[in-house]
Amino acid sequence: MSKPADLVQGTLDMLLLKILALGPMNGFAVSQRLKQVSGDVLQVSDGSLYPALHKLEQEGWITAEWKTSEYGRRAKYYSLTRLGRGQLEKEADSWGRLSSAISRVIKLKET
Amino acid sequence: MRPEHWLYTIPLRLRSLFRRAQADQQLDDELRDHLERKTEEYVAKGMSPQEARRRVRLDLGGIEQTKEKCRGARRVNWIQDFVQDLHFSLRVLRKSPGFTTVAVLTLALGIGANTAIFTMTNGLMLHRLPVRDPGQLVELLHHYPDEPEPGFNGFSWDAYQAIRDGNHVFSDLIVGSMNFFSVRGDNLQPQTVFGGGVGGTFFQALGVRAAAGRLIGPEDAHMGYHAPVAVVSWSFWKSRFDLDPGVIGKKIVVGDTPVTIIGVAQHGFYGPSYEAQQDIWLPISLGPSPGWGFGLLARLKPRVSLEQARAEMAVVFQAVVNSPDADPFVRRMKLRIEPAGNGVTTPLSQMLSTPLTVLMATVGLLLLLACANLAGLLLARGASRQHEMAVRACLGAPRARLLRQTLTESLLLSLVGCVVGIFGAYFAAHALIRVFASGRFIMGAPVHFEALTNPDAHVLLFTLAIALLTGLLCGAAPAMSASKTEPGSALQQASRIGESKSRRLFGKGLVASQVALSLALMSSAGLFVEYLSHLRNLNLGFERNNLLLVTLDFAHSGYNAAQFSRLSQELVTRLDAIPGVSSATFSAMSPMEGPGAASFAFSEDHPEKRTQASINYVAPAYFETYGTPFLVGRDFSARDQTGSPVAIINETTARDCFGNENPIGRHITLSHITLTKGEKTYEVVGLVRDAKYNDLQQAAPPTIYPDLLQQGFIGSQHSQLAIRTRIDPGGVASAVRQTEAAVLNTVPIVRIMTMNEQIDSSIVPQRLIATLSAGFAALGALLAAIGLYGLLAYTVARRTHEIGVRVALGAAGTDVMRVVLRDALWMVCAGFAIGAPLAFWGKRIAASLIPDLPVAGPLPVVVAAAIMIAVGLIAAYLPARRAMRVDPMVALRYE
Repeated sequence: MSKPADLVQGTLDMLLLKILALGPMNGFAVSQRLKQVSGDVLQVSDGSLYPALHKLEQEGWITAEWKTSEYGRRAKYYSLTRLGRGQLEKEADSWGRLSSAISRVIKLKET
Repeated sequence: MRPEHWLYTIPLRLRSLFRRAQADQQLDDELRDHLERKTEEYVAKGMSPQEARRRVRLDLGGIEQTKEKCRGARRVNWIQDFVQDLHFSLRVLRKSPGFTTVAVLTLALGIGANTAIFTMTNGLMLHRLPVRDPGQLVELLHHYPDEPEPGFNGFSWDAYQAIRDGNHVFSDLIVGSMNFFSVRGDNLQPQTVFGGGVGGTFFQALGVRAAAGRLIGPEDAHMGYHAPVAVVSWSFWKSRFDLDPGVIGKKIVVGDTPVTIIGVAQHGFYGPSYEAQQDIWLPISLGPSPGWGFGLLARLKPRVSLEQARAEMAVVFQAVVNSPDADPFVRRMKLRIEPAGNGVTTPLSQMLSTPLTVLMATVGLLLLLACANLAGLLLARGASRQHEMAVRACLGAPRARLLRQTLTESLLLSLVGCVVGIFGAYFAAHALIRVFASGRFIMGAPVHFEALTNPDAHVLLFTLAIALLTGLLCGAAPAMSASKTEPGSALQQASRIGESKSRRLFGKGLVASQVALSLALMSSAGLFVEYLSHLRNLNLGFERNNLLLVTLDFAHSGYNAAQFSRLSQELVTRLDAIPGVSSATFSAMSPMEGPGAASFAFSEDHPEKRTQASINYVAPAYFETYGTPFLVGRDFSARDQTGSPVAIINETTARDCFGNENPIGRHITLSHITLTKGEKTYEVVGLVRDAKYNDLQQAAPPTIYPDLLQQGFIGSQHSQLAIRTRIDPGGVASAVRQTEAAVLNTVPIVRIMTMNEQIDSSIVPQRLIATLSAGFAALGALLAAIGLYGLLAYTVARRTHEIGVRVALGAAGTDVMRVVLRDALWMVCAGFAIGAPLAFWGKRIAASLIPDLPVAGPLPVVVAAAIMIAVGLIAAYLPARRAMRVDPMVALRYE
């Protein structure tokens, strides 16, 4: 199980942005979704999740709204902004290049 | 970042800044919400509620830390933090008023002293004239190579023409001089105003604008003509005319000439010198005139360097002084060109440049001392706040934050000290300038006080800079140690915190450095004090005690030569009759009054060998009154009045003009005397010992004393009456006044002072340096003593437990005291090791700046060292006694 702590901060940002691209949700839901979608492989520790979310909000890539949820409880819901969408594309691109480069190296035939 | 990104994030950041409380509350809510949801999930998975709650908290890892990290993610944090730090620092400092007061005063002293001296340095040496392109301005001077002064800005008509026509380096040549004018008018009291005679291009070339009316231009001053107009300064307009626009066209009388005021110069312009304030300018006619009276300023052409100008002009000037009919003495003149962007050379700036340099060095050392002192204080305080720092670190404060907090405290202290210091500096600078100006009247110019003592932008910037540096310097060490707090160990050993070795050593190092600086300050003070006493005890060639000097103003006396001769003799006779008076005499100048007349002298046998001699017209009994012995010959007598001109000369003149032969009966000729144009020959009737004249530090110049009564000399305004008394001179002053008023009823007394007072007024800078550096040294020693005491007391308090153990194990009280004293002496000796080389090096530098400084003996340094040891022992006494009295039982329980 690769711990999120092994991920570079930038990768975590990218993952969070992508999750939020699926729809607005609060912090807890983001970490659950990520865990679920990655098959329990990627788990963000709570202590890293919220600072990362706040940083993304500070950069203007996500925006937050306080909404009253289904149980009458107030929660902070994050959603992706237009800027964030652009940032996500950029990071996804560079991640793609990085991972295919690593794949090429790993797949080299040893003699 | 793209512009729209900025636009979007700015509101967010601003909100972070201003709605901090609300944002914090929201953060809290958010995390709580998360914890609740996670708890529900765990409970749904089958955990018990308590277990679930515990697990979620463990998962989060610490709510405060997480909150701190979230806050850290918002990048305007540093401003919030800074404001928070500031609030906290203020609270902390308010809670310990004693410490705060001492710290602020220490800093105020160091910073204020530096600001005061820098204000004057800025005014005199660094400030740029308010003219166009001051960097291009230069002034021309002529001087004789063996003369010590920089020279005189005055040129003959021929020289001016040659320079004007023969140069390729100046884009403008400006004629201007400085003079006193007597001014009167309708609503204007008769008064003496300092101003200048200027050529037609003066204002234009300097780039000065008119605040009202127009300024003197080429049409007002050209060959053979000068218009009857005048321009006044802005402050003259304000003080005499209340900024009345009707001043333009007003008629006033300057000297004996009616002139019309045609304009006012721009605000802040007072002529080509910053410290000599000119208030009125009149046009001069540029035409042949005798003497060397044209003052010259010039503007260098854009790509011409000063060196090029000097080289070219040296050649041109050489051609002028080597013209066939030039006086042999004139041939020796050389030209100097100096930058004038900071104002032309004036006697005040010459007099003060060295003292100011010395003082700047001294106060710089004092500031370093104050910094070391404060750093030690802060370090000691920091040690007692380790507990607090540990708690902060545990709560999640990053190291940088702890560092910033401590630095903010010391910066706050230094800023407050800076403000206090600036106030003090303002008054100090005023007082200093007043003292400087109280010295012998500085020939040539009234001192422009405001210019010299107004803190302008440069000074304030300088003060702020040193305040910041001081704060950083003092706070650096405590801040570093605060940021290195190990929370665990610090919290455990709350009260028995053993100090780290490095911190102890650093504290000792600070004290040692204070001792070193104090040593340097004291030895330099000792040097200057010694120099002053040397000056005061010089052999002057005359007797300085019990001599009363009275200055009389003969300008409006209405006497002719015969009346003057008769009345002055009568006065002398009546003064002789006053009980307590041994003798009285008249002269043109008294020895330390200032520079007087000078002339070229040569003997009949060697007319080509010319000596520049000082001329002082004296009456009979002059040498007896002053106590200068005759070597050969006689004094003037009543018979001389009807005979051929006679004079008395001093040893140096005799040597220069007559070699080793007896000068009595020989003749000496003076030429280029301003009073009687042409030459005059005197018979030498007496030879006296050399006596100091005008300058204490220089050897006596060749001096010639013609007979005052013979000349019927009432030429210059003032004459000197000298009275030798058997008792204290003050005792006869009133009798002298009455007698003088009775005999010379049209002649007012300008001032009365004793010879000692006159000598003192001629060495004001030296006295000031000696006094100030002694004062600073004393303060420095006090600071070092306080620093030493503080550290020792603190150490003893911290080590009370250890001392208790030692005593319980059998150590005697005296053993303990010896340990403390040894500690103190070690620090003092370490200070010597650093300070002694510093002191010697300082001595060498001082010797290079001040000529004739007696630097032979190591006496000042040795005396300073002895004082420091005494100070160290005194400072160590109390803590040592306290250590000795430690009761082991109390100490062992001491927490």
